[in-house]
Amino acid sequence: MKTLVLVKQVPNTDSPFRINAAGTWVDEGNLTYGLNDYDRYALEEALRLKDKGAATEVVALSVGPERAATALRTCLATGADRAIHVKDDRLAGSDPLAIAKVIAAAIKGEEFRLIFAGLQADDDNYTQTPALVARLLGRPCATAVLKAELLDGSIRVERELENNRVQVIEMTLPAVVAVQTGINEPRYASLKGIMAAKKKEIRTVGLSDIGVDAAQVGGGAARLKTVRLAHPPKGKGAEILKGSADEVAKALVQRIREKTGVL
Amino acid sequence: MSCKVLVVAEQDGGAVRDITWELLGLAHKVAREAGWGEGSVKALLLGQNLDTAAKGLAERGAAEAIVADSPALANYSCDGSAAVIEAQAQAESPALVLLGHTPNGWDVAPHVAAGLDAPLATECSAVTAPGGKPRFTRKAFNGKFVQEIEVGDAPMSIATVQRGASQAFSGSTQGTVRKVDPGIDPAKLQARFVEVRKGESGGLDLTQAAIIVSGGRGLGAAEKFSIIRDLAQALGGQVGASRPVTDSGWLPHEHQIGSSGVTVAPKLYVACGISGAIQHLVGMRGSGFIVAINKDADAPIFGVADVGVVGDLFEIVPALTKAVQEARK
Repeated sequence: MKTLVLVKQVPNTDSPFRINAAGTWVDEGNLTYGLNDYDRYALEEALRLKDKGAATEVVALSVGPERAATALRTCLATGADRAIHVKDDRLAGSDPLAIAKVIAAAIKGEEFRLIFAGLQADDDNYTQTPALVARLLGRPCATAVLKAELLDGSIRVERELENNRVQVIEMTLPAVVAVQTGINEPRYASLKGIMAAKKKEIRTVGLSDIGVDAAQVGGGAARLKTVRLAHPPKGKGAEILKGSADEVAKALVQRIREKTGVL
Repeated sequence: MSCKVLVVAEQDGGAVRDITWELLGLAHKVAREAGWGEGSVKALLLGQNLDTAAKGLAERGAAEAIVADSPALANYSCDGSAAVIEAQAQAESPALVLLGHTPNGWDVAPHVAAGLDAPLATECSAVTAPGGKPRFTRKAFNGKFVQEIEVGDAPMSIATVQRGASQAFSGSTQGTVRKVDPGIDPAKLQARFVEVRKGESGGLDLTQAAIIVSGGRGLGAAEKFSIIRDLAQALGGQVGASRPVTDSGWLPHEHQIGSSGVTVAPKLYVACGISGAIQHLVGMRGSGFIVAINKDADAPIFGVADVGVVGDLFEIVPALTKAVQEARK
């Protein structure tokens, strides 16, 4: 059973974030990048199926610029068998539906029985690409998955609901599973894995290789357009207490006493 | 009147969920702004045995409640729900389809978007439509930034809206109810509902707690949580946590507060080492008095807190515990 993992390279959360000159996105100049955290769990879920002998091959796919190859290399070092990198300058500024169409086109003919992805990406937080891909392929998709169990011809998943409840769903294969963090404990790449990854294939493809019309992608075709990125309003804003730990502690006790009556 | 805003209602056992009344409130606000008229807001309700819920929607916000009532829709399935929403959105061709950013809302919305080739803005905190052009506001980079989105000349756009983004609709309407054939064959569904059950729980109920002290990623390790427990004990409160804490197994899932955990509204909420990702904020911003302790002065948690301390929680939290104990003497 061939298994695909959709991954994205995103800025590390402790990167120095600045808004770009146009005020429409972050300035990418100073950022450092890594594999999206959710995707580490998606990869681990696929690798566990391979460890059990249920998955024959685990393939990682990413759509992104040159630097995204580093994230794919991380997947290979962690245990993925091969990788597909969709890279084309004309993809810059694409909206999620265009990216989903690109992914669907890139895997045409591959016959993946299972596709794992992270619930969302840590940059745009869109929470939609895995299910968009599923719909384009005519497959079911479950999001926020906390547990997945492969059955004969189907997969049983537990989805996270509000207020500590879970929804159990059984999906006919082929299917798409978007995992929540905490579904497993992702492994790290071993030294041996890093060495082995050097011999593994990253196949780089462009729009013409996968038969996608450049007019359908990129910023020009995007119908989901970020017109402004800004720092969040401070809201009412907290009163910030200053002083030594003991001084602020005393001031906090006073505020709590005045405002809540719990002390 | 033609439909301009289609609200996808959510119900639980036949009772309309709060998020739906908020969506109806938002839909009316957007319709007013855009000059679409109050009669342009319709609701779509999916499920089984929905007569009471449908009547409620028609009386509280929907000019028409479109009802797909069928045993095949008794429980949520992504492909079953998506097929009905797609078909009705196609028939009504509204400018805007609104869903709640709930586990089922965010699960189904992309299917509908891909099926209708429409742009989807997720987890919106505000939706406006000046001059009839939808504009969506949401958080990006886990709350570090606010993002505003436009959809160009797309004739229809779809949005999932977070809880609390709008007041619930408070007026009354004399809407009508119309039943539609969902046309779903349960045997052909690719995603089949099995059950909903409680997650693993030790019986903790944070929703009823008057005082909660929560720890986040800033604690760094499970054993460091003792300072949070000590403060909670001194205050006579319960221990809460943000997602990274329960993901890392430092505390069981039942302690998690936020969109994927529980929603709480204690009199006092103390957030320690929690940056304040939107997923956490939606679960605790209704608290009476919020204290935030964090080393990052720009952390979003200070935006919702009443009082904050920027500094090392390993110094401040134990000092606060001591001060509380002295105050209690």
